[in-house]
Amino acid sequence: MEIPHSIRRIHTFLGLAFLLSSCASDLDIDQINNIKLEPVFVANLAFFDVPANKFIDDGNAHEIAVDVQPFKIFKENHFKDNLIKAELDFEIENTINRAFSIDFVLYDKNDAIVETITFEVPAYTGNPNVIKFPTEVFEQARLELLKKTVEIGFTVRIAAGPALNENSVGNLKLRSSATAYMEIE
Amino acid sequence: MRKVYLIILVVFQFGFAQNKALLYNFTSIPQASLVNPGADVSYKYYFGIPLLSGVSANLGSNSFTAYDLFANDGVDFTEKVRNIINKSSANDKTHVNEQVEVFSGGFRVGGEDSQSYVSFGVYQEFDFLMYVPKDLGILALDGNRDHMGKSFNLADLNVRAEALSVLHVGFHKKVSEKLVLGGRAKLYSSGANATSTNNSGFVYTDEIEGTRNIYSQVISSNVEIKTSGIATFREDEYKGSETEDIIHNSFFNGSLGLGVDAGVTYYFKDNLQFTASVIDLGFVRQSKDIETRTYKGSYTYDGVNPNFDDIDGPRNVLGDFEKAIPRETLYDKYTTWRPTKFYSSLQYSFGESRYGEECDCRAKSKRGYANSIGGQLFIMSMPKKPFTAFTAFYKRSIFEKLDFKATYTFDTFSNTNLGLGLSGTIGKFNIYALVDNVFEYKDVTKANSIAFQFGLNFIFPDSE
Repeated sequence: MEIPHSIRRIHTFLGLAFLLSSCASDLDIDQINNIKLEPVFVANLAFFDVPANKFIDDGNAHEIAVDVQPFKIFKENHFKDNLIKAELDFEIENTINRAFSIDFVLYDKNDAIVETITFEVPAYTGNPNVIKFPTEVFEQARLELLKKTVEIGFTVRIAAGPALNENSVGNLKLRSSATAYMEIE
Repeated sequence: MRKVYLIILVVFQFGFAQNKALLYNFTSIPQASLVNPGADVSYKYYFGIPLLSGVSANLGSNSFTAYDLFANDGVDFTEKVRNIINKSSANDKTHVNEQVEVFSGGFRVGGEDSQSYVSFGVYQEFDFLMYVPKDLGILALDGNRDHMGKSFNLADLNVRAEALSVLHVGFHKKVSEKLVLGGRAKLYSSGANATSTNNSGFVYTDEIEGTRNIYSQVISSNVEIKTSGIATFREDEYKGSETEDIIHNSFFNGSLGLGVDAGVTYYFKDNLQFTASVIDLGFVRQSKDIETRTYKGSYTYDGVNPNFDDIDGPRNVLGDFEKAIPRETLYDKYTTWRPTKFYSSLQYSFGESRYGEECDCRAKSKRGYANSIGGQLFIMSMPKKPFTAFTAFYKRSIFEKLDFKATYTFDTFSNTNLGLGLSGTIGKFNIYALVDNVFEYKDVTKANSIAFQFGLNFIFPDSE
């Protein structure tokens, strides 16, 4: 009787296959919920490069340039909600023989000032005049204020000194960047 | 982000690559004609037990295992994801194929002496292929700060998935003692498809001295995500069950397509056999519930540039970005090609079959050899480069109606893949079980690739 023998063999094989397949390490699929991404992104924040001969000036101290621009990154809820820390870095180079004071101003949606950061820039005297300002760190309450920002503005004031005209040389340059620390769960 | 991991999870539930090395040319199993319509299979007629005649699953992931990701070992999950991303390359892939025969059958056509056979059936198939999105993973885990000068490659997003049903009718004929030819026509009905395989572009950040800005930042994107049969599920008002709807759509309301299989068996000598087949040479015209999202354009990000001249009005930087790389939704039909498979084998037989004389019910037994050895080649089309596997095999008739096949397969998923298969017939009742990568079964969670197939048929042999 070969057939019953075959049946036994098939069953033995299948039984073994299932027995073998039952071996598995303990897995914890729920770990997926523990995923926490903490990327750090850097980006340009703002820049300008104004030549001296563009400033309208009579040699006295006065407010010489103003501009406000939309800044809508915090309208992106995904970005806003997952941002846990921000750093802003500013670098200003002045090759004009006048001192400047630059306000970086954050405005909320009601045009109210959220925060003003002021940078004092000495006059150019022939030596390299690049200033890297200390990093502005936004955490906790200061970060929450930053997140209300919808516009950013620059106000440039010039200190008294030799009057500027269309033949004046030199530039006032600003470069700035933002570092965004995200936590995505 | 979680959705991505859910997809990976689904992959592991199905568990196996699409190479059916054990089934190929295992001619005592009628389903062997699904991987070579020109296989030397013969019967008076047969039918499969509905839903149980051919159940197969293939899972392969060549750079990580379920254990790497989900081991209950106290290691932080994000750290495991980071390790996998770090050790993977963008050419590493995760591949899943699952098939269930809904029904199948076949019969001999012509008179008693005819050696022409028809086979038919319907099967359901799910196919998923994703390359490891390495650069996007690094960007999501680390951000760009610590990767100055790196171009994050958007081509790393490369994924395709399809759930479909296939109605097929095949015909094969023993043209002579030496030659068997066969072909199969297929009607595809795709319930759901997602394709994003031809992306390009980059995200680049670097610090270059002497420029007007701190960073040089460029995003160039040529990304396209096509879906069919899926858009409905994303609507807020959708309240149904995705799985049920996809299965329903794939049988009754799918995007239609056509394909062919073709195959040949040739005996150089009585004991030296060559076979070859091409499977799923076909396409689906994706036309139901279609949606294509594109992100195409290029943008250099400078940040805010105050305008002290006050000639121009204010600029909205975010608005500029959206204009430069707009998200567009199109509703055009599109065509997807089925993953086409090519098989070939060379087989040498030896040793007289002890059962050959008393049982001439199978064509193979007529040739009267108990043992066969040989090699098989498998090639499958994939978005980046074809997948290739080489298999060495040994087949033996253990008893009159009990056949055994062992395979050793080399491919990118594993080079220690031992497979074992058994097909037995008791009366008219045929049962088969094929298990790939048996070494991995000592702990399936640590397997890079596993595949199994089993099925039950009633076979009424040729000679009765």
